[in-house]
Amino acid sequence: MEKSIIVENLAFRYGNLLAVDHISFDVKAGEILGFLGPNGAGKTTTVKMLTGQLHPYAGKAVLLGYDVTKNPDKVQSRIGVCFEQTNLYEQMSAIENLKLFAVLFGVDNFNGYALLQRVGLAGREKDKVSGYSKGMKQRLMIARSLVNKPQIIFMDEPTSGLDPVSSEAIDNIILEERDRGATIFLTTHDMWEADKLCDRVAFMNQGKIEALDSPRNLKQQYGKRSLIAEISSNGDAIVKKEIDMDSPNTAAEVEKLLTNEKVITLHSEEATLEDIFIKVTGRRLTE
Amino acid sequence: MKLKRIRTLIKNEVFHGPKDMVLVMSVAMPVLLALFFNLAFGNIFSDRAALGLLDKGDSEMATLLQSSSSINLKIYNNEDDLKAAAANGSIDMGIILPAGFDNMIQTGSADIQAYTWGESMLKHRVIIGTILNDAIHDISGSTLPVNIETIALGDVSSVPWNDRLLPMIILTAIFFGGMMLPAASLINEKNKHTLEALSVSPATIGEIFTAKGTIGAMLALVMGVLTLAISGQFHSSFLSLILVMGLGAVMAAQLGLIAGAYIRDMNTLFALWKFGGLLLFGPAVVYMFPQIPQWIGYIFPTFYVIKPVVDLTINGLGFDSIIFELVILIAIVAAIMIIINRIVVKLSSQALRLN
Repeated sequence: MEKSIIVENLAFRYGNLLAVDHISFDVKAGEILGFLGPNGAGKTTTVKMLTGQLHPYAGKAVLLGYDVTKNPDKVQSRIGVCFEQTNLYEQMSAIENLKLFAVLFGVDNFNGYALLQRVGLAGREKDKVSGYSKGMKQRLMIARSLVNKPQIIFMDEPTSGLDPVSSEAIDNIILEERDRGATIFLTTHDMWEADKLCDRVAFMNQGKIEALDSPRNLKQQYGKRSLIAEISSNGDAIVKKEIDMDSPNTAAEVEKLLTNEKVITLHSEEATLEDIFIKVTGRRLTE
Repeated sequence: MKLKRIRTLIKNEVFHGPKDMVLVMSVAMPVLLALFFNLAFGNIFSDRAALGLLDKGDSEMATLLQSSSSINLKIYNNEDDLKAAAANGSIDMGIILPAGFDNMIQTGSADIQAYTWGESMLKHRVIIGTILNDAIHDISGSTLPVNIETIALGDVSSVPWNDRLLPMIILTAIFFGGMMLPAASLINEKNKHTLEALSVSPATIGEIFTAKGTIGAMLALVMGVLTLAISGQFHSSFLSLILVMGLGAVMAAQLGLIAGAYIRDMNTLFALWKFGGLLLFGPAVVYMFPQIPQWIGYIFPTFYVIKPVVDLTINGLGFDSIIFELVILIAIVAAIMIIINRIVVKLSSQALRLN
């Protein structure tokens, strides 16, 4: 499959601090890549380099066949960026916000109303953005990132602080865009969202990518599979017992459990991305 | 750079840009200053000098005075009406010509009773005195020992205050709006992070700066022309004045863009304006107080904007006389443009610092 993003040895310094430490990865067309890491890990700096806002200290990033440092205009006309922080023109209406960017992107026959309907803002198109709720603003930000039908979409914490309904609506848009063929670069703290949406996730810590694979493979590689049994002993007391599923004695232990104990519940348990992140980096995602 | 994008950004700025105190002050302050100083020291709202005349005979004076375009002549039939008009300010001065006045002045002596409105402007009294003198001279055919003594009270400096204050008004008109508008707009976009959104669109930093600078320069030029017109000085050398003030407006917008690129909040911008005002308005202070050595003005960049304006308006000089200052002004604008170009190149690769 064709690669939308190729990053080679990319680095950036803020003074003496090496914020991004010579990272390399690639993202296939139509793939959703989750970029996970705690604050200060270098995620935002990486995105700023990939979107042409910052020139790398070393290395290069090629997006859609163009070196972003040498051809920022060619890259920026083909990407969409949805920022974590609201940065809309609040004194303008939603449709005016979209039309402004449609002209800047040179989009012909732009239908902003259809786009607003798609993100659930139909009927509020001409309202000033300053009167919108946080969820509505976030949906408008996503709509703005889609005005030019981008081939790559960068989304920075798109569901941060939103209610479950708004979050699900945004998740659905992300999946629709993926189905359209767009590559999604999703920066998030939310391991559940990453697990649900991403084809692959990258764990970033202290400027380096510590792991990069599909959630399933990461769980298989780093996670511990176990069986959790709830056992009734001595009348009403219930105790939990954990059996390692990857041990050579697993079968014997399960047989012994079922034979000798009064098992109330029995279920398997796998590691979360958060568990794996801690295992790989020694830090929590929300630090 | 794409003109279409610049046009779109300008349109967006005009229709949806911040309508805050900076914009209000940019428009209101120079106009109010010009109005105030012209009301206080100039000729705004003051009509021509008004002279009342009561002719008890059949003097030729009335005809001669009526033909003068410098005064408004009002004829009265009785002394009481004339006095009342002078008392309430309907006329600046009322004169009573005795019967046989023309014969009197031809034989060498004449008495004129004159009533003066106490609040009439000094220059009106001077104009009336001169017109009367000329008329008497025309009737008598010779210069009579008529002496109209005018006593000026207060500041008797040779440079009228209206002329002294003009540089301050014009510099305020050009530099406040021209500088503050682009600077405030950039700061506002940085604070609201909309600049970050623009920076990942095809719009370049250069296009954004061009759009904001154009608006600042246009406002500065319009305000400069407007205040000059209010001050009654936009009467000749139109193209030369537009050229000089246009370059001044560009300089103001350039300084505003530099300030906006590096300043993070409005408080700092206003602090800079207060401090930078010393540099911007130095030449105006030099003009305001003629006792200061005038060569000091040449130190300030804004001197090369205001000196040509003063020469073209107050001093009534032509384009030839401002070429030296104009060349230096063009050089200053070009030098600042090079600096801005470097800033744009730098910010284009360091957008994080801009946001």
